[in-house]
Amino acid sequence: MEKVKSPLGRAFIHLILILFSIYSLIPFYWTFIQSFKNLKDANSRTPKFFFTPTWENYQDLWLRSVPDNGAQIAFFVLLAVVILVCLLLFAEYIPIPNGVIYVFVTLGFISLLAGIPRFVETAKFYDYFINTLIVTVGTVVVSITIGSLAAYSLARYSGILGVVVLVAALGFRALPRLAFVLPYYWIGSATNLLDTHLLIILTLVAVNQPFTIWMLRSFFMEIPKDLEESAMIDGANRLTAFWKVIIPIMWPGIISTALFSLLLAYNEFLLVRILAQTNWTLPVAISRFTGGEDPRHLTLAAASAVSATVPIILVILFFQKNLVKGLAAGAVKG
Amino acid sequence: MKRKTFLQFAAPSIILMALLMVIPLGMAIWLGMNYMTYDNINSPQFVGLKNYLDVLGDPRFWQSFRFTALYMAVVIPCQLFLGFAVALTLDQVSKFVRGIYLSLFLLPFIIVPVVGTLMFKQLFEPSGLFTWLYQTIFETKFRYTETSVKTLIILYGIWATTPFALVTYFAGLQTLPIEQLEAASMDGASRWQKIRYIVLPHVRSLTIFILMISLMDAYRVFDSVFVLSEMNPIYKADTMMTYVFQTAVTVQRLDKANAMAVLTVIGIMVILIPNLIQTYRQQIEER
Repeated sequence: MEKVKSPLGRAFIHLILILFSIYSLIPFYWTFIQSFKNLKDANSRTPKFFFTPTWENYQDLWLRSVPDNGAQIAFFVLLAVVILVCLLLFAEYIPIPNGVIYVFVTLGFISLLAGIPRFVETAKFYDYFINTLIVTVGTVVVSITIGSLAAYSLARYSGILGVVVLVAALGFRALPRLAFVLPYYWIGSATNLLDTHLLIILTLVAVNQPFTIWMLRSFFMEIPKDLEESAMIDGANRLTAFWKVIIPIMWPGIISTALFSLLLAYNEFLLVRILAQTNWTLPVAISRFTGGEDPRHLTLAAASAVSATVPIILVILFFQKNLVKGLAAGAVKG
Repeated sequence: MKRKTFLQFAAPSIILMALLMVIPLGMAIWLGMNYMTYDNINSPQFVGLKNYLDVLGDPRFWQSFRFTALYMAVVIPCQLFLGFAVALTLDQVSKFVRGIYLSLFLLPFIIVPVVGTLMFKQLFEPSGLFTWLYQTIFETKFRYTETSVKTLIILYGIWATTPFALVTYFAGLQTLPIEQLEAASMDGASRWQKIRYIVLPHVRSLTIFILMISLMDAYRVFDSVFVLSEMNPIYKADTMMTYVFQTAVTVQRLDKANAMAVLTVIGIMVILIPNLIQTYRQQIEER
């Protein structure tokens, strides 16, 4: 559409956008400042916008005891994170193969996460955070691997069977989770897999598979068939052609889809709530801070909400383009 | 591609979906026909259709059905309207500013629903910002009652789902037919006429897409209700999913919960089957 030109109209447009931003952000803002208040300030009946910020809610949430050299440890952890993130950001400009840097950064993060409990006594919340990471990464890796194989073949195979699989998958996407989750509980208790990461990852992959297939397939459809056909004439079999020719140009699509799988796994509440008794992920752990008699729950809830949101915002900042593109791709083809 | 290659490639995914979706669904139907609690989970007793009939005669089930219907009836139109209006507005500003606004607007959508609800709830705690505003404006105390809890659930639903409609419409607005718009301008069409006769028909298929997705999601709304109502029956704010959950976890009637889950599946299928048939036809044509 052509732009509004009158100054009054322009002002009105910006006013609407600013109001909508405030509307979108106000819960974040309020929770953020609540999480830095002490109990008295947080429970004050007239809202306090100016107060002395305190870290104590975050300490209560993450640590069982605060060590004497806490500030130093925090400094080194932060430094390590900044270095690793910078390596990731500027990987392309460093004259070492990208793959090596990515492996190094991954190992760095893993050893950092595994090393922290050795220096400070972490609380349960840290374990839930690690559980969430394991479940999320596991789900994304498995579902993208098997999903892209299936989506690729669905994009290339024109038989009736392919259409049936696609439509059935769409139907399954629509079904309420609980219809699967209760039988999963039964299966889990029969196979003794309840409360394991394996069961949660497998069920999450299955539940998200329809969506993954549809989205990846829409990206595969855009790739011309000639590409892998010419590779196959040169003697490569289909799997090699898929791996060497198709996957390298599919990366943007794969990242978009992986991002949505990541959000789905990171956000999942109901499935984990029923299938895990102690090995919770963050959403389940956080849901315990709602209500209850303990007055500390108010600020702990705020601190835990902020803690769970920061990682996801960081990921989105890295990949925002892919997210919007994925949404748009799903939409325009839908 | 040959059928055999297709099956080889798709096998892991199809097998997983069959094992963890088709079989559990059949199992849910069967478990619903047994008497089963956590005590006799390994030796269920067959009782036939009794649980299904019990559920259909359960007034609380119909109460949760009515609240789910109300939720869908309010949230989906508001989401569509608000999303479309803001997308049109966003389309008016320069590219750079758009990117910034878009990332702010997306936040409620990408955030963990449980966490989002918790943040939303912080505003309405006794010490919350909106509780204070409410008290200052209306000079009465904000209380958690049946009406206020239901309103909060619906308001949160709108807040959390609008970004999806917004981004989808915004993407659709980038592919508007420019010649038609220019021709309309030459003929002296007003802005409203252009929106009415060119933009709206152009985004019609998107509206149907958003409608289908939000219908599925609103039908199974759970997380936000779980947090906001704290599963307290005095608010009568159960949706179908939270009622199934309560039956399974609090009341410990796994059999009845399974039967109820199966009935909700039948419910959504009634709405979705026309859409599935249409997708099937469309895919058959396209191949």
